[in-house]
Amino acid sequence: MIEAKNVSLVYENGTVALRDVNLHIEPGEIVYITGPSGSGKTSFLKLLMGIEYPTTGRLKVMKQTMSKINASNIRRLRQNIGPVFQEFKLIRGRTALENVMLGMRFLGFPPKKMHEYAVEALKNVGLEHKISSLVDNLSWGESQRVAIARAIARRPSLIIADEPTGNLDIDNAMNIMDLLVSFRDQNTTVIITTHATHLIEGREEGTFIRIDNGNLSIERKGEALV
Amino acid sequence: MKSIVYNMGYFLKEAKTLFKIDLTSNILSILSIGLIFFILALVISGWDIMSFIVETVEREAEINVYYKEGLSDTEISKLLEDIRSVEGVGDVKIVDEEESYLRMKDILGDEAHILELFEENPFSPFIEVQINIAESDVILSKLKQVENIEYIRDNKRVLDRLNDIVSVIEFVGILVVVAVGISTLMVVSHIIRQGIYNNRDQINTLKLLGAPQPFIDFPFILEGFFLTLIGGLIASILLFVLLNYGYGQVELAIPFIPLPAADSLIRSIVTFTLVTSAILGIIGSLLGVAKQGEGFRG
Ligand SMILES: Nc1ncnc2c1ncn2[C@@H]1O[C@H](COP(=O)(O)OP(=O)(O)OP(=O)(O)O)[C@@H](O)[C@H]1O
Ligand SMILES: [Mg+2]
Repeated sequence: MIEAKNVSLVYENGTVALRDVNLHIEPGEIVYITGPSGSGKTSFLKLLMGIEYPTTGRLKVMKQTMSKINASNIRRLRQNIGPVFQEFKLIRGRTALENVMLGMRFLGFPPKKMHEYAVEALKNVGLEHKISSLVDNLSWGESQRVAIARAIARRPSLIIADEPTGNLDIDNAMNIMDLLVSFRDQNTTVIITTHATHLIEGREEGTFIRIDNGNLSIERKGEALV
Repeated sequence: MKSIVYNMGYFLKEAKTLFKIDLTSNILSILSIGLIFFILALVISGWDIMSFIVETVEREAEINVYYKEGLSDTEISKLLEDIRSVEGVGDVKIVDEEESYLRMKDILGDEAHILELFEENPFSPFIEVQINIAESDVILSKLKQVENIEYIRDNKRVLDRLNDIVSVIEFVGILVVVAVGISTLMVVSHIIRQGIYNNRDQINTLKLLGAPQPFIDFPFILEGFFLTLIGGLIASILLFVLLNYGYGQVELAIPFIPLPAADSLIRSIVTFTLVTSAILGIIGSLLGVAKQGEGFRG
């Protein structure tokens, strides 16, 4: 699913966000990324989505070599990813349901299925009562859950969730974590970043990545493959 | 293709949102496009009407042949025969003093009483000759060789003048069409760019979700299409009102001028205006959305 060899990312202003990353992630793996603010978590996810390109090294995501990828392949790649952005990136002036469906409209779902999946995803994040609310009127935590619903409703093969529980109370956060983790049963790869180490400490299975100032250390637990 | 059909409702709603977000600019664009198209429609109508007049005059082309006074009946019938034998000549018919008097009375209408100032009939008889206008030069030179003809009055000068006017209108028309085309494209592509700028966050998000460029562009193209189409509609309504009013006025003032039927004129100009506006709207918005496709990095 993901293969990184000596990948580094240096921003134009000289900030070194990632250093010499070596990593191999299989389909269906669940990956937790922790690390202090500014350590490079979001930067790593940006590389996976083709928002940034590796400065050096070789990165392959779903068989695409990211340094050589063209516009139409990047589009196809992103269509297979369910992203939860740290800043949500919801479309203002639309309802929660419209926002969720917007991520699916160009993926070829028949209209009925699209509606059904979107409603189901909103139920799964506990927002069935807010389906027709404008996202402008939702709380931060609710907005975050709409963003999560948008990511999972489109049935991606890779979920990339950047701080998906950052604005949630402990119960909601746990529920969202469990929900995201449950997708591995469908062989979906799930990558989650978080500050909140207490949310993942008890987890028995998965790949645990810690980033410190751009340096990755990786630990695998449970029947984690590879 | 399928996804365009599935998403038509969404696209229309998006176009409406785009319209509402920048309401003032959009309304001003519609108004200016409407006026631009109104000018276009006016020029095209003028063009149409003038060509119709010229055609009618050409079709009814006839010349009046005045013959020497005091010809005997046999000389007159020989003259008629001679004229008939010229190639390109159609009907030939004598119009005597009485009839020319009556015709003038008809033309003058209410003013006919001035004819009563004459003690004697001031008109002379003449021969009315229908000719094929295309061959008028040849026919005229042949007629000049016919005996007993004193003077030929043709409407060639009038026709030449009309044709001059038509070519001026045609020239102005082409300029106007070009100007309308360019300014419409400018207005539309500009407002579309503005809309793209206003929606840059949303567009960026769509790109991050992997939306194909046509999916992102389609609402903007719809917006441009509706802007010009509504502009075209406004122009059509203005033209409809003006032509209906103008026709009435002209028919009152100069009843003998040949005009194309108002209905068909309006129908063809309105069709032309709407089709042109729709096409220009689509091209304009395509120009507006062009060149923003490569920023896929988000
Ligand atoms: N576009 C950019 N240009 C320059 N520097 C950047 C850019 N984006 C991020 N950085 C810098 O790169 C480093 C890593 O940032 P990143 O956003 O990956 O951190 P993070 O681990 O996601 O932090 P947080 O937990 O606060 O979200 C930071 O020092 C940040 O200031
Ligand atoms: Mg971050």
